[in-house]
Amino acid sequence: MITQERYRTTVKELLANGSIKMAIGYKPGSTPDRRRPLFIRTSEEAEQLVLDSTCVQNLSGYLVSEGLLSDEKRVGIFLRPEGVRSINILAAEYQLNADQIVIFGFDSTGREVRPLDGRSAREFSGLLNELKEKPLQIYKEPLLERIEKMNAKERFDFWQEEFSRCIKCYACRQACPMCYCRRCIVDSNQPQWVNTSSHTLGNFEWNIVRAFHLSGRCVQCGNCDRACPVNIPLRLINQRMANEVLDGFDHFAGLSATQEPVLASFKKDDTETFIL
Amino acid sequence: MTENIQIAQQNIYKPAIMKIVDRHDEAPGVRTMRLEFQNPADHELFKKTFRTGMFGLYGVYGEGESTFCVASPETRNEYIECTFRQSGRVTSALANADIGDLVTFRGPYGNRFPIEEFHGKNLLFISGGIALPPTRSVIWSCLDQREKFGKVTIVYGARTVADLVYKHELEEWEKRTDVDLVLTVDPGGESPDWKHRVGFVPTVLEEAAPSPDNCIAVICGPPIMIKFTLISLKKLGFDEANVYTTLENRMKCGVGKCGRCNVGSVYVCKEGPVFTAAEVSRMPAADL
Amino acid sequence: MTRILFSDKLDNCVAKWRSAGLAVIGPVQEEAISRYAAVEKGTDFDFGTVLPDRSLKELFFPQTEPMLRYTIKKNEIDTADFTPPQGKRIIFGARACDASGLEIDDPLFGWDYKDEFWFQRRNESVIVTIACTKADDFCMCTSLKLEPDSTKGADVLLRPIDKNKGWLVEELTDRGREAFALISEYLQESSEPALPTVVVPEKFNLDACVTWLKNPENFESKFWKEISMRCIGCASCTYLCPTCHCFDIQDEGDTYSGIRRKNWDSCSFALFTMHTSGHNPRSTQSARWRQRIMHKFNYFPGKFTVNSCSGCGRCSRQCPVDMGITETLQAISNL
Repeated sequence: MITQERYRTTVKELLANGSIKMAIGYKPGSTPDRRRPLFIRTSEEAEQLVLDSTCVQNLSGYLVSEGLLSDEKRVGIFLRPEGVRSINILAAEYQLNADQIVIFGFDSTGREVRPLDGRSAREFSGLLNELKEKPLQIYKEPLLERIEKMNAKERFDFWQEEFSRCIKCYACRQACPMCYCRRCIVDSNQPQWVNTSSHTLGNFEWNIVRAFHLSGRCVQCGNCDRACPVNIPLRLINQRMANEVLDGFDHFAGLSATQEPVLASFKKDDTETFIL
Repeated sequence: MTENIQIAQQNIYKPAIMKIVDRHDEAPGVRTMRLEFQNPADHELFKKTFRTGMFGLYGVYGEGESTFCVASPETRNEYIECTFRQSGRVTSALANADIGDLVTFRGPYGNRFPIEEFHGKNLLFISGGIALPPTRSVIWSCLDQREKFGKVTIVYGARTVADLVYKHELEEWEKRTDVDLVLTVDPGGESPDWKHRVGFVPTVLEEAAPSPDNCIAVICGPPIMIKFTLISLKKLGFDEANVYTTLENRMKCGVGKCGRCNVGSVYVCKEGPVFTAAEVSRMPAADL
Repeated sequence: MTRILFSDKLDNCVAKWRSAGLAVIGPVQEEAISRYAAVEKGTDFDFGTVLPDRSLKELFFPQTEPMLRYTIKKNEIDTADFTPPQGKRIIFGARACDASGLEIDDPLFGWDYKDEFWFQRRNESVIVTIACTKADDFCMCTSLKLEPDSTKGADVLLRPIDKNKGWLVEELTDRGREAFALISEYLQESSEPALPTVVVPEKFNLDACVTWLKNPENFESKFWKEISMRCIGCASCTYLCPTCHCFDIQDEGDTYSGIRRKNWDSCSFALFTMHTSGHNPRSTQSARWRQRIMHKFNYFPGKFTVNSCSGCGRCSRQCPVDMGITETLQAISNL
C-alpha cells in the first residue's frame, strides 16, 4: 500500500510538472483478482492506480503501439524487472528511445510489493546483471518435470497435442512486447511462409516460428502464456529457448539498450554446436 | 435497391471454371481478360442472373480469389471481361495466366444498376483511373440500346495519359456523335501530343457543367475523387438520389457471410456494390 | 408429472444413442481446457463447470474446414466438393447461451445463399440444453434478455434436480422427442422438483445501449478510443464467441493440387479489412472494437432482428487485458 501511494504521488507530480505526458500502470479489474492496464493522463486517473503482487502483465508493448511515442514526449510506465529488459530490447532494436521512457520499477515477493530504484532503463543495469547470474527459473511444476523425462519422440507428440488446441487467435503475439512487427510473417502472403489454417500442422508451424523469432529476445514475462485462451504452456517453450541462448552464447536478453541481438550478430568465438 | 439472386448450388463456395480467350494490357500493370465458361450450366446460370453492376470473385487455385466487377455489359453475356491491376497475390497469378489457361469465377454477386429506370434520361458517367471498368459495363449496356436514353456524357480522367484504360474504346466513343466524351489527365500527366483536358476530374466536370435536368450520374473512382466529385455534382444541382456509385471493399465470400465488407449496417457484397450517393451518405464516413 | 432422466441411467442412454447411430457429444473437462467433445460413456461428461472454455460454435463452424479440393492437369481443372461430416449427433448438456448462439447465426448462414457446411450439421444435431444452476462473475445472459434456462436453439431442455441425481425432461421439438424416444425406457415419472435456475444479475441496460449505438452522432464519439485503449487486437474474444462468424478463405497446396479452406477470421485484426491499395477502412484498434460492438448490437439485429450475443461472457472471461462486451455496454449504460 505504501509503495502504491508513493507512486501515485510521484505520477501526479511528474504529470503536473510536464515531465511525462502519460503513465501506464494498473487498475482494478472485473474481479478482485484481476488487474487491467490503466493509462494515466490526469491526477484523477492517477487515483485509480493499483500496485500489488497481482500486477503481472508486462505493459511495455503499449509503448510501441499506434504512435504513442511519436511526439517525443516522455511516457512513464510501471515495470517489473522483466519489463525493464523489454525496454532495453525495444531500444536495442530501434523501436523506441530508452530516454523517452520513465520507469516506475517494482517487484514482489509473495504478496509484498516493493519499489525498485531508478527512473531510466540504464539505472537498472546492476539489478539486471544480478538477474543474469541467477536467471528466473520456472517453478518446477509437474508438467515441466514430465517433459524433462520425455525422449524426443514423446516430446514431439506432447507438443503436437498441445498445439492441436491452438485456434490461431494470435493472443500470444498480440500480448508480447517483442511482437511489434507491422506485418507479421504469418500475415505475409507473397510468399505464404506460414500456413494460415489452424489445423495441427499450421499450428505447429506458427508456434515454432514464433519461438524462433523470440529466441534471445524473450524476457519470460509470461504475457503469452497468460493470454493463451486454450492454455498452451507457451512459457515452457520460450523459457527453454532463453536457456539455450544463455548457455550457448552467454546472452541474457535485455541487459542494456545497446546489447546486440543475439541472432543478428556474430562473434568469432560463438559456439557452433547447432551446426550439424 | 437490393435484388438478390438464389444460386441453386450445394457448395456455395465452389467456383466455375473459365478459360482465358483473350487478354490485353490497358496501362502499366493493368490488364483486361476475356473469360469463357467451360461448363454450359454455369454459363446458363450466369446469363440468367448477370446484370450490370454485379461483381465476381476471380481466382487461381493455389493462390486464392480476388474481388472485382464484371467489366463487360449485360448486353454481351457470352463471356466475362474483367480488368484488374496486378498488385496482390491473386492478381499477380491472374496476370501470369496466358490465353488458353484456366482460372475460376464465382458469382455474379451483389445488386445492379437499375438501368430500366434510366430509360428516357440523360446519362452522365464520371470515372477516374482504374475505376472505369464498372462504369464501362454500364456505358456499353446503355450504348447497346442507345435509343432508350437521352444525351450520354462520359467524363474520364487518369493520373497520366499512360494510365487511361480502354484506350481503343475511348477512341471509339470520341468518334461517336451520340456520345460526349471529356477526357482529362492530372496536371503533369499529359504527353506532348495530348489534345484533351488537363486537370482533376471534379474541376473538369464543373467546367463541362452538364445539366442535372432529367439526368442520372454514375460515378466511379478512388475514394478521394468520389468525395470531391460529389461536392461538384451538388454544386451543379444534382440530387443525391440520382447519383449512383459502386463500392469496392475487401471481400472473401461474396455472399454475406464472412463479415469483412461491412460498412456500418450494410453488407456491401449483398446490398451493394451499387448504391446511390444518398445511400452512401447515410453510411459512417469513417468506415468507408 | 414430469419425466426424469436419472444420472445413473446416463451410461445406458449414451450406449443407446450410440447404438442407434448418434454420436454423443457433451461438456468435457480435458487436462488443459473444457470443451464440448465426443463422449463414450456417462462418466466422460463434466456437468460441473459453469461453461466450457470453448463454445459450441466450433462443432458447427470449425476453426478450419476444407471446402473443396482442386486438381489441375493440362487444360483441365477438377474441383471436388468436400461435404461436411455426415451423421446424426446429440449434444447433451449444452448451455443455454451456447444453444442460443446457434440459432442466432442461422439467419446469417442462410440468407439467400445457404451455407451447407453450417446447415448440414445443424440439421443433423439434436441439442439438449441443461438449465444453469450456477453462474460466475462473467455470465450475462439476462442482460441480453435471455435466461439460464432459455430454450432458444434447444430441442430438449433439462432442469437439474437436487444432489446431481438427474434432470427433469422438457421435450421442445420433434427432433428432441425422437432422440428421447430412443431412451424412453430410462425415463421415469416423478414429481421431484427442479432446482431453481441461477439468478444472473443484469449488468447493463441493453435498450439504453442500443439507443445510444443507433445514434449516428455517437459513431465518432471519443468513447470508443477510451474504452478500447488497452485492446491488444488479438482474436480470443471473437474466436471463443458462440456467435462471431467471420471467416477467411485460403488455399493450401500448389499449382497442381490442394485444398480450399474456410478459416476463422476476426474483425480485431488490422488486416481483416485492409485493401490491396493499402487503404484500410478500419485502421485503428478503436475502429475495430467499435465495429465489433456495433455489429453485435446494432447492425446484426438490424438485419436479422436478433442481437449477435447470447451473454456467455467468454469475451470478458478470457480477455488477456480484461476487456469485453460487458465492460463496454456497462460504460455505455452509464454515459
